[in-house]
Amino acid sequence: MTPAFLTRLLFGAYALALSMTTSALGQDVIPLQVSTSATDAPVIELSLETLDSLDQITFSTTTIWTDGDVQFSGVSLKALLAYLDVDGQSLEMVALNDYAVTMPVADLEDVAPILATRMNGETMSVRDKGPYWVVFPYDSDPKYSTETNYARSIWQLNRLKVVD
Amino acid sequence: MKAGMNRYRIAVLAGLGLICLLLSFMVTNLLAQLRELSTAASDNTQWSISQLDTELANLSVVLADGLSDPRFSPDDIQLRIDIMISRASIINSGSAAAIFSQDDRAADLIAPINDFVDRAISISDQPGPLTRADLEELRVLVQGVRPNVRETALLGVALGAANAEARRAEFARQLGRTGGMTIGLLLMMGGLLLLLDRMLLRAVKRDAELQTSSKLLASTVAASLDAIVTADETGKIIEFNAAAEDVFGWKRAEIVGQTMEQTFIPERMRDAHHNGMKRYLETDKPRVVGKGRVELTALRKTGEEFPVELNITSIKDRNGTKFIAYIRDISERKINEQKLIDARDRAERTDKAKSQFLAVMSHEMRTPLNGIMGVLDLLRTTKLSPKQDHYTKIASASSEILLEHVNEALDITRIETGTLQLTPQHFDLVALVRSVVDVLEPLAAEKRLSLALDLEDGVQMGFWGDSSRIRQILINLIGNAIKFTESGTVTLKITCIHGPATSSLKFAVTDTGAGIPAEDHERVFEDFIALAHGGGRHSRGDGLGLSISRKIARQLGGDIVLESEIGKGSTFTLNLSLERSAHLDEQPEQRLAAAPAPPCKVLIVEDNDINRRVLEDMLVGLGHEVEVAVNGAESLDKLAVKHFDIVFMDISMPVMDGIEATRELRREDGPNRHTHIVGLTAHGREEYREEAEQAGMDRFHTKPIRIDALQGIISDVTNAAHLPMTGMPNDVLKELADALGPEKLRGICDRFLSELQVLATDLRDGTMADDPTATAEAAHKAKGAAAMLGLTDLEDALSHLEKQARAEGRIDVDRYITQIQQSADSAKAMFDDALKNV
Repeated sequence: MTPAFLTRLLFGAYALALSMTTSALGQDVIPLQVSTSATDAPVIELSLETLDSLDQITFSTTTIWTDGDVQFSGVSLKALLAYLDVDGQSLEMVALNDYAVTMPVADLEDVAPILATRMNGETMSVRDKGPYWVVFPYDSDPKYSTETNYARSIWQLNRLKVVD
Repeated sequence: MKAGMNRYRIAVLAGLGLICLLLSFMVTNLLAQLRELSTAASDNTQWSISQLDTELANLSVVLADGLSDPRFSPDDIQLRIDIMISRASIINSGSAAAIFSQDDRAADLIAPINDFVDRAISISDQPGPLTRADLEELRVLVQGVRPNVRETALLGVALGAANAEARRAEFARQLGRTGGMTIGLLLMMGGLLLLLDRMLLRAVKRDAELQTSSKLLASTVAASLDAIVTADETGKIIEFNAAAEDVFGWKRAEIVGQTMEQTFIPERMRDAHHNGMKRYLETDKPRVVGKGRVELTALRKTGEEFPVELNITSIKDRNGTKFIAYIRDISERKINEQKLIDARDRAERTDKAKSQFLAVMSHEMRTPLNGIMGVLDLLRTTKLSPKQDHYTKIASASSEILLEHVNEALDITRIETGTLQLTPQHFDLVALVRSVVDVLEPLAAEKRLSLALDLEDGVQMGFWGDSSRIRQILINLIGNAIKFTESGTVTLKITCIHGPATSSLKFAVTDTGAGIPAEDHERVFEDFIALAHGGGRHSRGDGLGLSISRKIARQLGGDIVLESEIGKGSTFTLNLSLERSAHLDEQPEQRLAAAPAPPCKVLIVEDNDINRRVLEDMLVGLGHEVEVAVNGAESLDKLAVKHFDIVFMDISMPVMDGIEATRELRREDGPNRHTHIVGLTAHGREEYREEAEQAGMDRFHTKPIRIDALQGIISDVTNAAHLPMTGMPNDVLKELADALGPEKLRGICDRFLSELQVLATDLRDGTMADDPTATAEAAHKAKGAAAMLGLTDLEDALSHLEKQARAEGRIDVDRYITQIQQSADSAKAMFDDALKNV
């Protein structure tokens, strides 16, 4: 548990409180829950506002699940972990339906994958793979079009857990 | 070689091109395959499709739980509904939609699902939380759609599997193609490698050959006995071999880099060299280069010039023209050549000196011999006792042998110096051989041998050739045969085959002597060879005779061959090819038959006292009137004042020689301008013949001169002098007789003769001595008549008289009287003769 992590948690709690009081939009979007493997560590929730406040990455690509070019925007997972200042070997990602996939932190790149908050400029509902979707810029490099990366492209994501 | 290399290159390049093409094709293909493989979308799609079934099952469970639990959470159920709805959208879009579009059943299966989704959305989107009735309705809907969802999921799996299978099959095919291509590539590369290996081997071999040949060349250049110098087009020396170091005295290290001009080309030739090289480089037209061996002069390091033999070639390569000079030091050879020339000249001088010596000796011996033989001849004209006569004969024979030797020595000299001259003439062969036999008959008789002459019918005719040389050979052959035969017969057999132009004659001299062994057959013809024989007294080949005979025979275009066996005698055969001659005059016989000559006035011009006196005694003994002079100048004095019938003129004399005296005499108008002059010489007859004849001598005789020969000459001369006058009718007279008639001609002739008689008488009586003009007039008048009557001799004489009378005003009467008188006499005889016949 680092002092920086605590600061983030406090900041997160503050942001949550802020969102609950000031943003009507924020109430529609399920917040992202982040936890660590430490037993005494609190689970922090990151709201869409918080995620929007971080550096945004936007790209267009086709996916095997959608038709035509789709524009995604959101936060780089690597940048997100850096922002949260958490250490760990791997990142466990869990969807609303409890689908889970684990990815080594080392595999995270600066720009891929991203935690997409918007598809074609719109936030995503649960009916449409929301609230969050981990996507790669599949068309930019064939290396992203792998079985593993497809498996890691988890949608309806609402929980992240950094484990040692 | 070059074509082979190009073929290889083309093959290699074509192979490389093909490989590149195949590689690029393979690479693109493989890349596509790889991408396909790595973007393994289908499996995930299948999984996504199967999730629809799972989520529907989950929803079913949640709904069942909700219905059984009175305090159910509508939010949880709402979430499950949303998740379920989101899954339904998956099968309608992306790769799942693509998969389902492949199958017609899919649309039928998916349509109820979409209806279900639409119903579920309308139920869940109703205002307010979900009621139990909603849940119940949803449960019924879920139950209704489940078989469809399940079948759809299964269809998705089946289609995905089929797709995967097709892709695998395609991949396998692609792999197969790639493998095939790889094998092809490998084979091609193998082929190329083999090709490369072969080329490498060849290159290695060629390299080795090149190295060998360059080593060979290097060692050839190094070991060459000739200097080899290589220079570039500026004349700078690039190479300089060991022999060049020896020849020029320069070390290779110090001369390489310098130019030929600076080093071994003599200063005086540098400009020529410079220009020549420039011209060659500019025009490509060589003067020395490539022209074979040239002799030039070169310079040694020590500064001396020496002769060289030079051969320059040039080669052109990328770096320009190079000249290669092969140079041989020929100073040694030149020296040797000079030595040889000197030696030859010395030998020639020696040889000439020898010939000179022989000629002089022959001359010096002939002069005293002339005296001895003349005196012996004179002695035999006196009354001698038998004993004295015998001695005289012996002395005579001995001197004749000595003369023969002298003549032989002279002949050898002439043959060796190539000055033997042939004097061909018409001759009667039978008369010739008969005279030879006549001469030798006494010799044969002395040894009691018979000398036989065997003539074939065809030989009795005239021929053209040097009869005196043939006579000389025959005398030698027959003389030898007699000399070396003790008993039996010596036969001269002449046979002949007449060809179209010439006749081939064989003169075979056969004896019954001891014979000559085969091994000596050639030796008898060598100079100074005398073969020891039996008792040792007689030997064949005896000095020079046979050798000379064979040499002369060969010069005549024939040869002498010998057939002989021990004990069976010998046959020497002279083979000659002679031209036939139509002339066969009877002159020789006539000459032999000539009556003793009338007394003549003879002048002897001779410096040698003895010879002069001998000749004088001989002529006086023969009844002639003789005067003498001791040299040419004195003879001219005598000849200017008195007419002589014959002059015997020695050729070599002090003060003025015979040739010059004759020339002078013939040039001047004088009483002896037309007198017969006999040249006498102790040299061989060839030496002065031409000169003497040109000077105007009428005949020529070699010393010693014998009484017989003297008699012959004089009778010859006197006959010849009278023959034209008495013998032949004058053609002019004949014509005159035809034109004028005999009577008129007779009158003219008589008048002319009487006038001539008057002139002669006047001259003799001296009546005209004081009046040269009258004399000249008279002579002139008579001259015209003489010319008309064709009396050329008389005409000449009168012409002289006239000229002398006019020019000098004084007449040497005596000189003309006799001549005119004589001419008048002969003219009268001629007129008589001519007119008698008319």
